[in-house]
Amino acid sequence: MSSETGTDLSLSDAALVERIQRRDESALAALYDRYAGMLSSLLNRILRDTQAAEEILQDIFFQLWQNASRFDASRGSLPGWLTVIARNRAISRLRRHNPAAGDPLPETIAMPASSLESAVSQRELMGRVKSVLQNLPGEQRAALELAYFEGLTHSEIAQRTGDPLGTVKTRLRSALETLKRNLQP
Amino acid sequence: MTDINYISGHPSRDEDFDLYALGALDAGERRAFESHLAECADCKEKLAQAQGRVALLAAAAPQVDPSPAVKQRLMRQIHADAVVSPATPSRSSPEVEYPRRGWFARWWAAVLLPAAAGLAFATAYLWVQNRRLDVDLARLRVTMEQQQDQLQQQLQQQEQLREQFQDAREIAALMAARDTMIVPLTSQRGMPQGSARVVYNGQMGMLYYDGVLDAPPAHKSYQLWLVPKDGDPISAGVFNPVSGQDTHWMMKLPKGLDPKAFAVTLEPSGGMPHPTGPKVLVGAGS
Repeated sequence: MSSETGTDLSLSDAALVERIQRRDESALAALYDRYAGMLSSLLNRILRDTQAAEEILQDIFFQLWQNASRFDASRGSLPGWLTVIARNRAISRLRRHNPAAGDPLPETIAMPASSLESAVSQRELMGRVKSVLQNLPGEQRAALELAYFEGLTHSEIAQRTGDPLGTVKTRLRSALETLKRNLQP
Repeated sequence: MTDINYISGHPSRDEDFDLYALGALDAGERRAFESHLAECADCKEKLAQAQGRVALLAAAAPQVDPSPAVKQRLMRQIHADAVVSPATPSRSSPEVEYPRRGWFARWWAAVLLPAAAGLAFATAYLWVQNRRLDVDLARLRVTMEQQQDQLQQQLQQQEQLREQFQDAREIAALMAARDTMIVPLTSQRGMPQGSARVVYNGQMGMLYYDGVLDAPPAHKSYQLWLVPKDGDPISAGVFNPVSGQDTHWMMKLPKGLDPKAFAVTLEPSGGMPHPTGPKVLVGAGS
């Protein structure tokens, strides 16, 4: 299978990143097609602003174009790397931070899912994550979503919900344990 | 307050790494965690696993696809970048690559500087043109709004004329019908003075009132009633005339009523469901 620009769409993320390093525009287009939908969903969920989400989405892929050499496929997962960048950028924007001064980029990210390089595997993962979240007690799910999608700390969640700090910490820990138990291979 | 336990200097539970990756740790906890991470390769590896787990939460976001324009803009942007900085030979370099210096760069500068000056001139020219177009557009918008107002007024006038014409037709039909009754209403002693008539046709269910009456007292209204031979009076209109000026209206009522009388009473402002005030004008129905 080939894109209109001639890149084999079945190439792995690592192979496409290598081509980007050689200035192959069609390789970036292929990675965009692979992950833009997932990142756009995350950005829109955090920002609830389509225009801002699209600006950041474009910027993330431009950053990948310019800094592809910073990504080492042997040490981490590209969708994980892109997701962390997208979340950091969106939360910085949400909290009026300077995006450039946001959290430092992680060196490596090991995603537990075997591969997200096809739309089918992305949909399957989405279904599994949603299922795990839906089965969490409501308070745990709410705390987890406030932390992940709004970037709130323990104390900020306690302030937002009016719950005791210790309760919030326990809820988040329990939610993360469940997430790990159900999604770790 | 911290709830991360360190055993032999390392965070004791896997969720500690997830909490850090999630960004949920408060500032003190975060600093302590980071100072350990800086020195511990094993914990860095654990954090990479946690980052991956936490990143999976992104999959819970509702699906929102970007517009095709984003990809188009991106491809234009990287194409322009590829022209300016065509090579990235070193994979280990963390920085963005810039054009090489030397004769090639100087040659580019010789080409690009005049081009940039030309671009600046073109930008200024386009800005001026854009301002002119903005002014023209604003004028056009005002003209269009004025025309829309005029059109709206004309439509309202047409609607009023149509209603008047319809009323005139109905009045003409009412007057021409053989079984239409015309009932003069006369003033009652001690009440506001005036005179009026009611034109009524029970088969058509139509009533027309026409009269002159002194203005009602403050907080009061006049109310016309059809008093049937059987049953309670039926309201046929509430009105607040200006003294000396004619008041008239057409009203449709239930068909088949047999009126014993018509009366105008003085009621609280806005009228009442049943007559409560004194009679001002009265006329016998048949």
